[in-house]
Amino acid sequence: MWQPKIIAFLCNWCSYAGADLAGVSRIQYPPTIRVVRVPCSGRINPIFILKSLQSGYDGVLVSGCHPGDCHYLTGNYYARRKFALLKALLEFIGIEPGRVQFSWVSAGEGEKFAQVVERVTEDIRRLGPARYLIKDHGAEVED
Amino acid sequence: MAAGNRKNSVVVIGAGIAGIQAALDLANAGISVHLVELTPSIGGRMAQLDKTFPTNDCSICILAPKMSECGRHPNIILHPYSSLLSVAGKAGDFSVVIKEYGRYVDPNRCVSCGLCAEKCPVKVKDEFDMGLRERKAIYRYFLQSIPSTFVIDRDNCLYLKRGVCRLCEKVCPAQAIRFDDCDRTVTVDCCAIIVATGIDPFNPIGYGQYGYPEYEDVVTSIEFERMLSASGPNRGHLIRPSDGKEPKRIAFIQCVGSRDQKRNDYCSSVCCMYAMKQAIIAKEHDKEIETTIFYMDLRAFGKDFDKYYERAKSQFGVRFERGRVARIKKEDGRLMLYFTPDEGRPRREEFDLIVLSVGLVPRSTLKDLAETLAIRLDRHGFIKTRTFQPLATTRPGIFVCGGASGPKDIPESVMSASGSVVECFRYFDRKWPREVSKKTYPQERDIIGDRPRIGVFICHCGINIAGVVDVKKIVNFAKNLQYVEHAQDLTYACAQDSLNLIKAKIEELDLNRIVVAACTPRTHEPLFRETLREAGLNPYLFEMANIRDQCSWAHMEKPDEATEKAKDLVKIAVAKAQNLTPLQPLKIKINPKALVIGGGLAGMVASLAIGDAGYEVVLLEKERRLGGNLRRVYATLDGDDPQAFLKRIITRVTSHPKIRVIREAEIESITGYVGNYRTKVSGEEIEHGAIIVATGAVELKPEGYLYGKSRRVVTQLELERMIPELPRYRNVVMIQCVGSRDDEHPYCSRVCCQEAIKNALRIKELHPLTNIYILYRDIRTYGRMEEYYEKARNRGIIFIRYTPERRPQVYLKDGNDRYSTLLVKVFDPLLGDELILDADLLVLAPAIIPPEGNVKLARLLKVPLNREGFFLEAHLKLRPVDFATDGVFMCGLAHSPKNIEETIIQAKAAAARAITILSRESIDAEGTVSWVDPLRCQGCGYCVSVCAYAAVELKEREGRLVAEVNEAICKGCGVCAATCRSGAIDLKGFSDEQIFAMVTALRG
Amino acid sequence: MELRSRIRELFQKGEIGSLIGYGRGTLPLSARPIFITEGGVDQLIFDITCGVNLAKYLLRKKPIAGQKVGIICKGCDGRAIIQYLTEGQLNREDVYIIGISCPGMIDPNRVREKVRGRVVTNYQMNGEEITLSGDGFQLTLPREDLLSRSCLRCRYPSPPIYDTFIGSPKDRVEIQDEYRSVAEIESLPAAERWNYFQSEFGRCIRCYACRNSCPFCYCDVCFVDQTNPQWFGKGVELTDTIIFHLVRALHTAGRCVDCGSCERACPMGIKLTLLSKRMEREVRERFDYIPGLSVEETPPMAAYREDDPQEFIQ
Repeated sequence: MWQPKIIAFLCNWCSYAGADLAGVSRIQYPPTIRVVRVPCSGRINPIFILKSLQSGYDGVLVSGCHPGDCHYLTGNYYARRKFALLKALLEFIGIEPGRVQFSWVSAGEGEKFAQVVERVTEDIRRLGPARYLIKDHGAEVED
Repeated sequence: MAAGNRKNSVVVIGAGIAGIQAALDLANAGISVHLVELTPSIGGRMAQLDKTFPTNDCSICILAPKMSECGRHPNIILHPYSSLLSVAGKAGDFSVVIKEYGRYVDPNRCVSCGLCAEKCPVKVKDEFDMGLRERKAIYRYFLQSIPSTFVIDRDNCLYLKRGVCRLCEKVCPAQAIRFDDCDRTVTVDCCAIIVATGIDPFNPIGYGQYGYPEYEDVVTSIEFERMLSASGPNRGHLIRPSDGKEPKRIAFIQCVGSRDQKRNDYCSSVCCMYAMKQAIIAKEHDKEIETTIFYMDLRAFGKDFDKYYERAKSQFGVRFERGRVARIKKEDGRLMLYFTPDEGRPRREEFDLIVLSVGLVPRSTLKDLAETLAIRLDRHGFIKTRTFQPLATTRPGIFVCGGASGPKDIPESVMSASGSVVECFRYFDRKWPREVSKKTYPQERDIIGDRPRIGVFICHCGINIAGVVDVKKIVNFAKNLQYVEHAQDLTYACAQDSLNLIKAKIEELDLNRIVVAACTPRTHEPLFRETLREAGLNPYLFEMANIRDQCSWAHMEKPDEATEKAKDLVKIAVAKAQNLTPLQPLKIKINPKALVIGGGLAGMVASLAIGDAGYEVVLLEKERRLGGNLRRVYATLDGDDPQAFLKRIITRVTSHPKIRVIREAEIESITGYVGNYRTKVSGEEIEHGAIIVATGAVELKPEGYLYGKSRRVVTQLELERMIPELPRYRNVVMIQCVGSRDDEHPYCSRVCCQEAIKNALRIKELHPLTNIYILYRDIRTYGRMEEYYEKARNRGIIFIRYTPERRPQVYLKDGNDRYSTLLVKVFDPLLGDELILDADLLVLAPAIIPPEGNVKLARLLKVPLNREGFFLEAHLKLRPVDFATDGVFMCGLAHSPKNIEETIIQAKAAAARAITILSRESIDAEGTVSWVDPLRCQGCGYCVSVCAYAAVELKEREGRLVAEVNEAICKGCGVCAATCRSGAIDLKGFSDEQIFAMVTALRG
Repeated sequence: MELRSRIRELFQKGEIGSLIGYGRGTLPLSARPIFITEGGVDQLIFDITCGVNLAKYLLRKKPIAGQKVGIICKGCDGRAIIQYLTEGQLNREDVYIIGISCPGMIDPNRVREKVRGRVVTNYQMNGEEITLSGDGFQLTLPREDLLSRSCLRCRYPSPPIYDTFIGSPKDRVEIQDEYRSVAEIESLPAAERWNYFQSEFGRCIRCYACRNSCPFCYCDVCFVDQTNPQWFGKGVELTDTIIFHLVRALHTAGRCVDCGSCERACPMGIKLTLLSKRMEREVRERFDYIPGLSVEETPPMAAYREDDPQEFIQ
């Protein structure tokens, strides 16, 4: 079965800890994600997500603390606004809604983390390999 | 084990949230701590909770960082799985013997892989999950345990009991099993002891006719908490125990084991709130679930609690039924609840699951412990304390915090924990600065300009990683990555010999960046960073790839794919490492002087605590006299004399060599940051390192009820001093909730019920024949104050409940005469009819409201107020006296309404928190902080708006505004960086460039 | 002409020391911004060719000798100024806002489409029709065929704040299908949307005229020109180009006042306001915010509400 490659931006205090907990509890989920740890979901510049798509990832998962749980008090609230706009914009230009997904996973939700990865993987599998926005780096002229 | 310096250590007994907080505050003030915990892990009750009210924060999410800070603090020595054997000596010079039970697992070798438990053949009920799940005889107390290592339950281990098995020993890849282990005793010298043993949930076996434990679907609230938890026995899938079906109708029965003359006649304080929380969370699991709470009085008396209650009702549709549950009976296999409501006829309802909201009782071990410590318990079995000394036990030098002295919620436990810390300071020498134990490191190598030379170390973690991931393949793969000079595997990267090897490789190969692919940076990054420092490398030149928790453990059946994933993770980590730069956290010098704003009870207690600990204090009072609201209080429920107490502390404050009082103080400006504040007050500039806000609150001036129109209408505070001279009235009427719990002030003022009952009892004392009527909405005499409610009823004081829809009406009996007797009309729900009371005196209990000055002060301090205008703490649960801004704390009514005892506790807590800063010469800011490229900044100010810590400011630079980050304040969240459109702000350690490198590492 | 006499009066009274307004351009259908003192008043014009958003010309202009800078403000110029005030780019007291009601501005790209290569030398308005003429041709078209799409859906023809007003301010206009262009795209299947934008942005030559004309692209160094990190490639590679436009839409979200400058400036006639309009609707529906109306309100991307909708988050 085709395994998509999904980049996952996880906030250090909740979702990354939730991912750890899934492992500690030996909850199995598809080996599709590549994790980038960030201090807070509020750290995530929407450009990181665009860059991920351009770099050839089949999907992007972004996960942070539940509203109210943010280690930095309000970071996820600002993140939520950014993500809402980015999501609307991507879908507007025709990127499949399942390509870029968002979740709140707490440090205690190992099970949920696994389910989220499961679901995102399933969605992206259904969509097939990414086609849009991928840059052909063979033809690269920058740098 | 090092026993610490006698003159510099404290023993804390119990490592729940209170013990953990006390240990951390002590340790951060430079005092070494022995933290003794009976169970194999620190964490306590809070670790068992799913969520916490009133924010529904995930409990373990907020607790775990504190646990791990405790676990790695150089000043804290953990004694898990231990108990206290004996105490000798006296305050300032105790000798304590601690018994450490044999774990039969070497904690220095155990890597917490869990293979042993997998193979262990013995199954027993799991205590942490309240017996709802089984564990093995070798086990970890809970998933996030600290220490995380396993332990063998000697009572159930086959080998220890019968001499057969030893399976765990065979499968342990780290050779950590020690069947020859035994109990040890450790003697510790210390100056003071803090008891933080917490509470037990009331055991309802045989209680009432509730069918516990015969009916499987009648569970206790703590069992239900585990059932709700994502890490609980059903992994957060809410099913009922009998048949595994999802319950659709859940009942909560309040006051099980509380407010009961036969058992515990106190109120457990927290059950109303936790029941609402559980009802809400249950609904979040499944919107279809109907939840009903059966209660007597709804006691939502804390900060933001009433709003939670309103939300439970209106937003979540939780049903509230007032009355008594007579019994629960199983009829035709269905659970039937028999209920006698306050109003209406008894009835019967069916439920799928019934939760008993069990009260909090003293820890079962407390009685023996009290004997060992030679301290007295109260008649309920909690540790005895007094109103004005709420943290002192009956034995000098031994203090108490948390639930051990009576029911408390989490923030109250945390406050009392910090407060108890302050009590210990008097036994220490006043050395300054008090530094945490120092370690010397070699000179840091300058690597700026050198090309990256990366060392990659891949950990097997025994077979935890290597059993799934092909480690050798990863090593070969890593060797070929750009800038990688060296790659190798290690059996256990965290073992001391491996750490030594990493150090040797750094020196031998001139490595300047290190990648370790192993477990999670959340637990192990500090250890490896320390290793880099020891090898003369800046600790920030380190990156981890998590190939265990997030790879081998999650993909155990897919070795090939796990190996591919691990390769990618290593490649991503190396990409980041290529871009790492050394970071130098700012050292912030501390001015060891505090500024306390407000000279009422809270401000004075805080000032004295700080002054007594040896630090200078400037105490500001806006009026000419010290004392604040306490000047108007003449009695306490327990019969103490507040005025004598007030006089004593005013004398102490005004004569204290370390305290300077500025009266009629007017603050003009406050600038600076933690350790370095400058405040202009009444024309003078004061430099100081910490700030305590204790500006109090005021009584609302009542509107209506003829207040101000009739001489016969007074407030409870006005009544206080009238009582001794009070004539022998026939009828005195008291109205509660005047301006509280309404739309304008949607909160409970907390103290009015106690105040009314206190004053009613005082009047009864003087004039037993006076009739006293208290018109109330809910009587909220939480904790031990319930006794006085009971006493008041026994004395014939009449309580009549009213609803906000039918408030009492007051009018003059005799036209316009200001001296006329009053008539009070109230609907009595028990009679189902209107009563007209002839009142010689009407006493109102007005709301406690924040003073107007809060708004200005909040602006000067750049700290937030909540919607009601009280100061808003950094975190409702775990940082109840801190602001998000470092170095600024709050206490007393400025935070929210509270009584004298609670004010004293919070004031001491604020003092302790301030001392954790004042006691040090300098503190390290974060290394990962934001910085601004002024050439790119356009001064739009978005970064200023989004910073939760007020760490970013716009400053004039060459004629235009440019953002500037104060590194001393920045916490490194990076929200500003992600918000900046012009790429002018970046976050060190998680820079745009580093994240870009990670994002693009796998392309092409 | 009322415009010139009123402005002269302002100079004479000392209300303003200089003025940003419009003068006749080299091309007949597009006026150019001019920065004048009293002596230049006679160059001033105001008509349907004054599309350029003037607000941007105010940035970093300081009052000369204590005298304010005057600026002719249509609705969108005025709203841009309000947005500048929320972003700390201007001091209110340095600026003298001269409000003027906007009749809607011509989009040179749309004209070009209609005249197919012929050079327009003159135009005339007759009610709802505009007659274009040039060497050997005359073309009469309805106004809505030539006006900027942004102007046709404009709800705020007059600036929300001003110090004086020439003529009388017009109330907010109710527009039925303000987001019609967006909805039309949205009605297409996803793959067709992608194809559409791919062909639309495929024409982009990365000249940055959109950015340079945008009142909100005021960064000294645009993200796309930065190194360390180099956010995206600078060549005309399609994904880089699309991402440039996406990021620009995100950067102007909650700020863009739909003045249409970008679209009028684009030499390739790319429908650039599709993206910004899509963002505008999202910000309005989600965060209940319309840019350029209030100085007090924090811009939406620097604010949050605890109960912001989050239906897209698992």
